[in-house]
Amino acid sequence: MNPILTFIVVLIGFYGLATSKNIIKSVFCVTIIESGIILLFLNLGNFQGGGIPILNGEADAIVDPLPQALMITTIVIGSTVTALSLMLCIKLFHRYGSIEWAQILRREDVE
Amino acid sequence: MMEHAPILFILIPVITAIIIYVLRSRWSHYLAFFAQIIVTVLAVIYYVDIAPHFVSGVIYFIGDWDVIGIPLMNDRLSAVLVSLTIFVWWMVLIYKFRPKEAEPTFLFFLLFLEGVFLGLLQTSDLFNLFVFMELTTIIVTILVAFKKMGSSIRAGVYYLLLNTAGVLMFLIGVVLLYYTFGTINMLEIRNGMEGLAPGHTVVGLAYVLMMAGISVKAALFPVFAWLPRAHGVAQSAVSALLSGLIVKGGIYLFIRLNGMFSPADFDYMDFFFFVGLATALTGSLFAMMQKNIKVLLAYSTLTQVGLIIIGLVSLDDYSAGLLHVVHHALFKGLLFFAAGIIVSVYRTKDITKISGLMRSMPIVSIFMIIGMLAITGAPFMNGYISKALITDALYDDPLRYYAVFLVNIGSAAAFVKLSMIFFGPKTLSYPHKNYAQIVPLAVISLACFVFGIFHESLGEILFGFDVSAVDPFTFTALATYIVTIAFGFLLYHHLIRPDRKGVRRLRRFTVTFETANYLFVIYVAVLTGFFLLL
Repeated sequence: MNPILTFIVVLIGFYGLATSKNIIKSVFCVTIIESGIILLFLNLGNFQGGGIPILNGEADAIVDPLPQALMITTIVIGSTVTALSLMLCIKLFHRYGSIEWAQILRREDVE
Repeated sequence: MMEHAPILFILIPVITAIIIYVLRSRWSHYLAFFAQIIVTVLAVIYYVDIAPHFVSGVIYFIGDWDVIGIPLMNDRLSAVLVSLTIFVWWMVLIYKFRPKEAEPTFLFFLLFLEGVFLGLLQTSDLFNLFVFMELTTIIVTILVAFKKMGSSIRAGVYYLLLNTAGVLMFLIGVVLLYYTFGTINMLEIRNGMEGLAPGHTVVGLAYVLMMAGISVKAALFPVFAWLPRAHGVAQSAVSALLSGLIVKGGIYLFIRLNGMFSPADFDYMDFFFFVGLATALTGSLFAMMQKNIKVLLAYSTLTQVGLIIIGLVSLDDYSAGLLHVVHHALFKGLLFFAAGIIVSVYRTKDITKISGLMRSMPIVSIFMIIGMLAITGAPFMNGYISKALITDALYDDPLRYYAVFLVNIGSAAAFVKLSMIFFGPKTLSYPHKNYAQIVPLAVISLACFVFGIFHESLGEILFGFDVSAVDPFTFTALATYIVTIAFGFLLYHHLIRPDRKGVRRLRRFTVTFETANYLFVIYVAVLTGFFLLL
């Protein structure tokens, strides 16, 4: 996959963040940006015919292991953010009866 | 043993937090104090130990791995901010202390945040930095939404998604740097940058994206919308923590990353001057209009963040900015703590409904007045020292000097407005019986005076700067202050007090989430365009 394509994925995510009026869609857009970055980073360490980075004594042509190690962490953090924000969305829906940004932000404070 | 202190700063609060969460005992708060004592003692011993090596910094590799491991670096900048963090956490823990009732869940998140934030201040590994930034965002969201009211939850979601977008922007920068240098160790990257041709496109793009991400965390001009929302609805102790420290995490990274990119020599100083000025002006403008005491203080944080950025880019070193970071953490903590007591006693956040505070709560009033004097930059208070350092640096450029003067007038007007709660008849209030909450107010007030009067020796010992150029004991200092306050009073009396249509409209002004993100994308585009034009 071309790095340019992954950049486009990131840009689609930011376009979505700047235009979507629904909280769930905003959460998805953050996830899309994150997927784009993960693909970009994995791309940079990858090359055609590279093996998995587990060495059995002999040094083969392997892909760069560092991006993979780092991106696992990013995925974990990303799932935490998604879970937390979706949980807060449910609470917001219970209190405001809506998941549209405009309606929620305009409403007066409720207990 | 002692060389392991940096990792212990992170682990002790986190492990204590987990123990508190698992045990859920009545003694949770004492356990937190115990952990805090250990961290404090450790910090004092460690920093006295490494003080001679502060200039180059002491590097500790986690798990004894060499350069490929995660490094934690302590130099003077980290040491000052780590000490400040521990101090502010002491104040928050004392403020939240109730002998009869413990809140294990709240303490869990509070102490976890301390560990994570101490990690953020020490790490010298870019990906580790990303992890700590994201963890800070997540825990702060939970603390903001902790009261589970509709307004706090919506502020939490807003904060979480906007900051995550910013931090992800930062991560793209990290990826680009790894692609260029093959490492994510900040010192290695700095060394690698020295051999780089000027105007390297990928490194420039990385700089732009990282600065954009940090701007969100530090609430700079177009991407500040989350700050008044989150800081206005959180509990007062949490607001003090957020305004005093967590926002400074972004400013710390601003200093650190500009240090890392300094060999590449990107000249963004003028750009960030105007960003800082715009931040400060917006902060003052909106602070003047507010009626909600906590939102007013939150917008005032924006003003001070702008001033800090102006101080950082106008001077050759970070002395004035760092001093203002420390001073602002003190007096803004004081103001938020006092505001928390006032809100709990009067059961309202509307400052037009609070009056006669001087009669009903004289002690809290005195501490609040000290905080307000410090934040407006009265001589003999700590705020004066750092503000004078910042304005002195701008003295050669009259336009910039008067722009900052305008910011100070706006800030003065906001606090003149806030000071109206002291006067007038006593309104209905409930008794305040929690004397533990007075302790942090007294300690921070004392610190405000000490930092204001003994600034020369303290600046030398704690920060290693020479601040003897500033003299608070002159007539000019007093005259400038009085003129600022007089202008602020006039502004308040003639423009804000009548509460005209424009004022009301500005007070209700909010930035919707999609607009905030739109502004963020435009901000990144402007930064990139500025880089390409250069």
